[in-house]
Amino acid sequence: MPLGDSLPLSARSARAERADDMDAAPRRRSRSGRSSWERLAPLVLVAPAVLVIVVFRLWPLLLGVNFSFTGDGDRNGAAVGLDNYAELFADPLFLGALRNVVWLVLLLPIAVAIPGMLATFIYLRVPGHRFYRSVYFFPAVLSPVIVGSIFNLLLAFDGPLNGLLGLVGLGPVDWLGDSRVAMFTVVGVHIWATFGMALVVFLSGFATLDPALLDAARSDGASLPQVIRHVIVPGLSRTIQFVFVTTMIGMLTSMFGLLYVMTSGGPGGSTYLPEYYVWIQQGQMNRPAFAAAASTVLFLVMLVVGLAQVGFLRRTGKED
Amino acid sequence: MKQRVFWSAAIAGMLALAGCGSATGNEPSSNSASGKLVVWDWKSSDKTATAYVEKAKADFAKKHPGVTVEFVAQPFDQYYTLLGAAIQAGKGPDVMMFNGGGQIRDRVDALVPLDQYVTQDKARLAGWDAFVKDGKAYASPVTLQGHPIYFNKGLYKKAGLDPERPATTWSGFTADCAVVTRATGASCFALGNKEGIGIQFFLSAFGSGILTPQEYDDWIAGKRDWNSADVKQVFQLWKDVNDRGLNSKGGNSTTLFTDAFGIFQSGKATNIVGLMSDIGHWKDFNEFLGADNVGVMKSPVITAGATPSLPFDGGIGYGVAKWTKDPALAADLVRSLTTTDALAAFYAAAGAVVSDTTVKTSDGGPAVSAIVADLKTGKPALHVALSSKTIELMGRLSQQILEGSVSVDGALKQLGESDRS
Repeated sequence: MPLGDSLPLSARSARAERADDMDAAPRRRSRSGRSSWERLAPLVLVAPAVLVIVVFRLWPLLLGVNFSFTGDGDRNGAAVGLDNYAELFADPLFLGALRNVVWLVLLLPIAVAIPGMLATFIYLRVPGHRFYRSVYFFPAVLSPVIVGSIFNLLLAFDGPLNGLLGLVGLGPVDWLGDSRVAMFTVVGVHIWATFGMALVVFLSGFATLDPALLDAARSDGASLPQVIRHVIVPGLSRTIQFVFVTTMIGMLTSMFGLLYVMTSGGPGGSTYLPEYYVWIQQGQMNRPAFAAAASTVLFLVMLVVGLAQVGFLRRTGKED
Repeated sequence: MKQRVFWSAAIAGMLALAGCGSATGNEPSSNSASGKLVVWDWKSSDKTATAYVEKAKADFAKKHPGVTVEFVAQPFDQYYTLLGAAIQAGKGPDVMMFNGGGQIRDRVDALVPLDQYVTQDKARLAGWDAFVKDGKAYASPVTLQGHPIYFNKGLYKKAGLDPERPATTWSGFTADCAVVTRATGASCFALGNKEGIGIQFFLSAFGSGILTPQEYDDWIAGKRDWNSADVKQVFQLWKDVNDRGLNSKGGNSTTLFTDAFGIFQSGKATNIVGLMSDIGHWKDFNEFLGADNVGVMKSPVITAGATPSLPFDGGIGYGVAKWTKDPALAADLVRSLTTTDALAAFYAAAGAVVSDTTVKTSDGGPAVSAIVADLKTGKPALHVALSSKTIELMGRLSQQILEGSVSVDGALKQLGESDRS
């Protein structure tokens, strides 16, 4: 590909200007004025957004990081170096919260597979697919507090789910009071509450799928699993990647409401996530600088996950 | 190259900033100079507090007719988070409500000592200790908060027991529970420990039946021996009660407010450690069980040498922010919020046992009469003496003790370390 074709607009404009007739002075002035505007215009247009990001995002971020190197209580305002970070990584509760982040990442494939499977069934027009489409999306419009309250009732020790288990001869499960079960319960409810949005994304992905491929597969006698594996999954690879990324971000940043309502981080701190830990330290323990250190670590975790995702997407883009 | 320069500058800026200064503002910021005082609390929006606030406002208006008072009711579950943000910013209300104990003691840096302004109220009001740190009072008590053991007299009657003579020993108490459970199916205790609050109430309600009077006083004075046999007995009892099936099921996933109280009120449990003021108290129970069916008892004697008493402290109180421009004016508002008239209105509407012990409670039924009678011999609650950090840890460990993932000894070791730090 000729190099000249890939020059930016401003460069092309400058080259063209040099080739212009030298004696056309008024015209040159006019073009020169337009050229500098063209150079400045992008900067002017992005300036408000940059300003907002710098003032309301980056500057507070720097202040927060700075604040995490100061003390709380008696040492309020005093520089304490890395003391907060040392205490943070010696706190089993925070380490438990980080372990729960790993659990979330491990449970991610399930959170993606469920809306993927359901979208597939809707796309393949199972009986009642129009009804299911709206029913599946419904939880996405509920706030986490309402979802949490509903499931608190359903999953109570003497609640209806344990009642049903009792009817079939199974013992009651303390869904939210057993530390071996509670985290999975909350994640399960989170998946239920949020899969509707991923479902919509999957359905929009299906809209781009060539139906001829499906027809061809069926004509060749492919079974449903074979259709899913060899036609649908490859055809939706970009959509699946997108849902992976957005679901992961949602799981890492949007579970506070559910945790607050359903388990309060318990039992025994088994359902703490970094976000909840930050809130407890700031609000209940009155330790804002320590909470700032925890926030900084959470930010770094998100940064690593985010950069990994960006790298993953970029690589995928190149393959396409 | 440019990118490298940018990142170098950013890192240099961060390092230059690192460790410099706190977020706490130093400039005072309040409305008091403009003839306005702002009060933060979580009570004034309750219908039951309307008369109380009106009476306090009227009293203050008589003394300072040119000053407006604005009450801003915050949601309780967000209150200390919002207050923490205000304290860090050095801006916020002139007068603010606090729970007694760790919640105010952790924040006295933001408050004005009130002793010089409330000298005349010292004798009339009770419960000051919960708002004192290093010998200075940082809030005036509005209510008294304590942890009586309430029992359902109706269930006692159904089981053929005498509700006017509850057992005074642990073995007698559990034997009565067994009789009631056999006759009615009600569990011995309604437990709500989802937020880890259950253990606080248990510790304070049964502590005086386990610790010797000397151990009790030492604990309150800050000389806590977490390795002592009696302290271990408190936590061992917490575990044994659950292991013996005396608690309602699913305690770690049941909220104390208001699920566990609901279990008691619906007659599914015989006993509950409740409150004296706010909610989960005698007035709430009277409404559901009938005043004649609400019994109150002190802890049974669990170890020899213990002298059971009612555990209580100052419940809620109002303090003055150090950033207020006229602390004397704000302290005057606190005094108006603790007048006998205002507190009497609070008792009448909310059922709160108020800090002014001259307020008559004879019309409230036998339960509140019994509580008020026990105030004379009552002692500060054991859990209120602990820091917020140790309380929070105790809550988590109590859940782990119940599910068996932490031993009583292991929990005591962690609590001792937290208490000493």
